[in-house]
Amino acid sequence: MSITVRQFDEILSDVIKSEPGIKKTILVDRTGLTIAHVSKFSYYPVDVDGIGAIASAVFCASEEQGKSLDVGDLTIVTSEFGDGKIFAAGAGKGVLCVITDKEVNIGMIRLTMMKAAAELAKVLDEFMAEKPAVAAGKTDAEREELRAALGELEKG
Amino acid sequence: MKKDLQGRIHFKIVFWGPSLSGKTTALRWIYDNVEGLNKGGFTSVADHTGRTLFFDYTPMQATAQVVFDVYTVAGQRRHRGQRKVILTGVDGIIFVADSSPDQMEANIESMAELRSFVEEDLGHSISLVVMLNKQDLPNAMDKAVMLAKLGLGNAPNFTTCALTGENVKRSFRQVTRDILMYHLYPKASATASTS
Ligand SMILES: Nc1nc2c(ncn2[C@@H]2O[C@H](COP(=O)(O)OP(=O)(O)OP(=O)(O)O)[C@@H](O)[C@H]2O)c(=O)[nH]1
Ligand SMILES: [Mg+2]
Repeated sequence: MSITVRQFDEILSDVIKSEPGIKKTILVDRTGLTIAHVSKFSYYPVDVDGIGAIASAVFCASEEQGKSLDVGDLTIVTSEFGDGKIFAAGAGKGVLCVITDKEVNIGMIRLTMMKAAAELAKVLDEFMAEKPAVAAGKTDAEREELRAALGELEKG
Repeated sequence: MKKDLQGRIHFKIVFWGPSLSGKTTALRWIYDNVEGLNKGGFTSVADHTGRTLFFDYTPMQATAQVVFDVYTVAGQRRHRGQRKVILTGVDGIIFVADSSPDQMEANIESMAELRSFVEEDLGHSISLVVMLNKQDLPNAMDKAVMLAKLGLGNAPNFTTCALTGENVKRSFRQVTRDILMYHLYPKASATASTS
């Protein structure tokens, strides 16, 4: 595991441990791509990519809404359900999503999320800077992977 | 193009076009019928009649290291804000035009909105493929006329029927291939002009 991967996992695990009732944490970027996720229980079966895509889209759509209403920056989106809650907070280039039980200390969760979001924003900046810019020099390994995908598609 | 923490390369593909042109039907057809792609779940945010409210999404894996994250947008006019969100970070677009003559204005409007969001990248760093859909309709418009009205004379295009899947796979394969070619050979690609 690279240092960045470990950093993401550590921050997300800390969030889960910080409050009882947190079941899952997911970090997505603003294009809907799930970057990292940690569950309290390893057998918590969810379609993480799908959940992440919705979390990112909902947060970004709320942000758009806020822009047209001129109500300042969006901090947290809260969704309350009969049996649980979903929170989403902006984390720089990403969105931190936390899934909880119904009865949780909302104040504490907000605090924890704001702190974690600030840390995640920093690590995300480093992580995204590591990657080659689009259409700029790719590594040989990457080119090989793209060629393999091309070959796979020609087959079908 | 993005990399995730496992080092897999992701490309984002968006089905764009006016409401009821067949975007969801086309993605669903690919999901149900195209083999050789390792597909994840199918996520839809839609109303009870099946019209998309926000997006459909499904990840499709070509190889262990290359994933296409495929979305459709909600075509109804009022969902403009949602469409803009879904377009973020897009690598390739399949524009699904409706061949019913009474939808031509809607096609033009949808294409104009797309251009306003991604103007100079379209057909260059963002690959574009056109599906002239619902060609099975008895009064379907002529392909050349549609392309001319849309200003898409030079874009790769297919006459399709998303209900039966006719040419749907070819359209999808074209956009995935164009994306990969662009990233392998950025200078040589970028052929599709959109004006
Ligand atoms: N005849 C015909 N009907 C089609 C074709 N493709 C889709 N349809 C029908 O058109 C209607 C709308 O299809 P959808 O796939 O839901 O349209 P959409 O573009 O996703 O619409 P929005 O979600 O509102 O943006 C459905 O009743 C489809 O069965 C086609 O190729 N031919
Ligand atoms: Mg739809």
